[in-house]
Amino acid sequence: MAETTATTDDSVDQLLIDSAEQMFGQTCTFDAVQAAEDEGWAPEIWQAVAEAGFAWIGVPVDAGGSGGTLIDACEVLRIAGSRAAPIPLAETGILGGWLLASAGLELPGGAVTIVPGVSGDTLQAAGGDNGSVSLSGRAQRVPWARQAERIAALVTVDGEPTVVSVPVGSVRVEPATNVAGEPRDTVTFDGVVAGTDEAGAASPDVSAESFRLRGALSRAMLMAGAMEAMSALTVTYTAEREQFGRPIARFQAVQQHLVWGAQDAVLTKMAAAVAAREANRDFAGARFEIAAAKTVADESASTATRWAHQAHGAMGMTQEYALHHLSRRLWAWRHEYSTPGEWPAVVGREAESAGADGLYPLIAS
Amino acid sequence: MKFAPTELTEPERALQAEVREFLAAELPPGSYPRALGMGAGNDPEFSKKLAARGWVGMALPKEYGGHDRTAVDRFIVVEELLSHGAPIGYHWVADRQTGSIINRFGTEEQRERFLPPICRGELGFSIGMSEPDSGSDLASVSTRATRTDGGWLLNGTKVWTSGAHENDWFVVLCRTAPLEDGHKHQGLSQLLVDLTSPGLEINGIPFLDGSPGFNEVVMSDVFVPDELVLGELGMGWAQNTSELAYERGGPDRWLSTFGIVEEFLRLSEGTPLGDRAAEMLGWATSRWWALRNLSLSVARLIDEGQAPSVESSLVKEMGTRFEQDVLQKVIELVDLEPSPESASLFERLVAAAVQTGPSFTIRGGTIEILRSVASKGLGRG
Repeated sequence: MAETTATTDDSVDQLLIDSAEQMFGQTCTFDAVQAAEDEGWAPEIWQAVAEAGFAWIGVPVDAGGSGGTLIDACEVLRIAGSRAAPIPLAETGILGGWLLASAGLELPGGAVTIVPGVSGDTLQAAGGDNGSVSLSGRAQRVPWARQAERIAALVTVDGEPTVVSVPVGSVRVEPATNVAGEPRDTVTFDGVVAGTDEAGAASPDVSAESFRLRGALSRAMLMAGAMEAMSALTVTYTAEREQFGRPIARFQAVQQHLVWGAQDAVLTKMAAAVAAREANRDFAGARFEIAAAKTVADESASTATRWAHQAHGAMGMTQEYALHHLSRRLWAWRHEYSTPGEWPAVVGREAESAGADGLYPLIAS
Repeated sequence: MKFAPTELTEPERALQAEVREFLAAELPPGSYPRALGMGAGNDPEFSKKLAARGWVGMALPKEYGGHDRTAVDRFIVVEELLSHGAPIGYHWVADRQTGSIINRFGTEEQRERFLPPICRGELGFSIGMSEPDSGSDLASVSTRATRTDGGWLLNGTKVWTSGAHENDWFVVLCRTAPLEDGHKHQGLSQLLVDLTSPGLEINGIPFLDGSPGFNEVVMSDVFVPDELVLGELGMGWAQNTSELAYERGGPDRWLSTFGIVEEFLRLSEGTPLGDRAAEMLGWATSRWWALRNLSLSVARLIDEGQAPSVESSLVKEMGTRFEQDVLQKVIELVDLEPSPESASLFERLVAAAVQTGPSFTIRGGTIEILRSVASKGLGRG
């Protein structure tokens, strides 16, 4: 049902958005998301998302995906973020699916995860017979490794960017989580061999840099959705909660939290949407926009969570209330595909190259 | 929220290129007293040149000398002017708001009399809203007009009237009917007042940085003929609220300190930036880029016939705080004791921003008032 035809069109597929809103809204109830705190994911939500084909949007149909544009995939991520969907959506689609498709590897029927690449990782790849690749070492912060069917990674074999895909059963998984309770496992490869049909040269547009940019874009979209939902939740709560005989939203001090939280949300959503639009047109040319969007998203996540929690008071400090599904994810996602100062520096160096007279044209590009 | 990503069309990009070309030729770096955004000086000659290009009163109807252009077209021209720190002071208020409210609320006679010279860049307006005892609570203004033969006698004092000493007219919010309990928004009117009228006295009030241009305007029995009551008598509050909406959400609310970063970059050319400087520059550039996209989408919404008052309040509240944050980040980065007399333009701009920066979040509606407007709108969903 979520199948769309591959296109470079940059209009937003409203039908797709409506059906994603409906599906995530129906499945990601408070109870379902809360139940996922224990296991780290919600198999029934994954099932529904997979059946509808949402996980493979943006991956070409001829590669086994659902088709559609990168914008479509990003919009679905935004909606998933707004519902705190506890599933490896970005990993299966615009990260893992993209990697596999780029190397002509088969897309599995189940969830895919990827090796995000963080400091301290020791994953090494060596070329073997008939194009096979032997993998050894450790990869950390691998999302939902426990639940995924396959792990994809972008490695270097004989100096060439190469995509590998191995079944989760072939590696050792030590559970670890992020502050939102989402699985970010440590995976050890003990001489695992990715066979001929599990390894392939990446297409020219795939590189460590483009992978990281895609990861950053995926997080900016998820964060935009989460901040939008958090703002709406806070507005609703403060209109209903009465203290001193009136809704607390009537107090100017509380209004400040509402306004600042709404600004963080709209700024991030705008930045992420423009970045997705540009990335869909020309991914290599969208480095500035993606870096700027993640810069905005990371800073906004830090402030938006402060304002939302302050406006909620003690009510927001328990797991019995929905705010933590969003705020804890924002605290986690701001660090993913982002080291301190990384994206501001990318934007800053672009601005430096543009020079004084080129700065405004860059901003207004 | 109705914000939606938008981008410039081909004809809009052509306009942008045309404005850039004009400014590069007309105001090469170092050739003019670069200002902090809308805090620019008056240069009536420059205003006339812009008008000759069709860039003043752009959105006003052709029949009154305007150009029937869109809010986005005006946005394009204005962002280039402000990012250059161009001397736009003389026509600024007339172009941003007075022309629009005269066109919207004024009589046919008023439109024919005022709009053509506004569009030629030959008529400068000031804003006559604030008083010594009425700032954010504008409905409490005590300037009053009393009936006289053929018109009104205006008495009262307006303050913080930027440009009154150099401009030609101002729009005065005043009481034309006595205040009745519980109906403070009634009985207010807007009067078009010639700043050279007998009985009108303009006293300069030095701004924090010592610059002139901030004024007190004292009116003692200033005669205003009936035909200069703007729009409808007693509808001043609604008209004034609508006028304030034109002051919100545009590039003037997030570009005031742009020149500081641009000049910082100019000084650094030839030497690679350090990591901290690159990160600061990237932080500011990212937020400018995102804010501009929000602000541009507000202009697009206006062209679609929407009334994005919550959206524009959100942008203004955020944009003006950001302007101040930019200054703070720069002074945390650069070893500098800012001096207004410095030979360096960068240092002079920093010194001016240190002293005038607090006004960014006050002028045209304080951020506290904006929060109140915006949060009520958020509550309506």
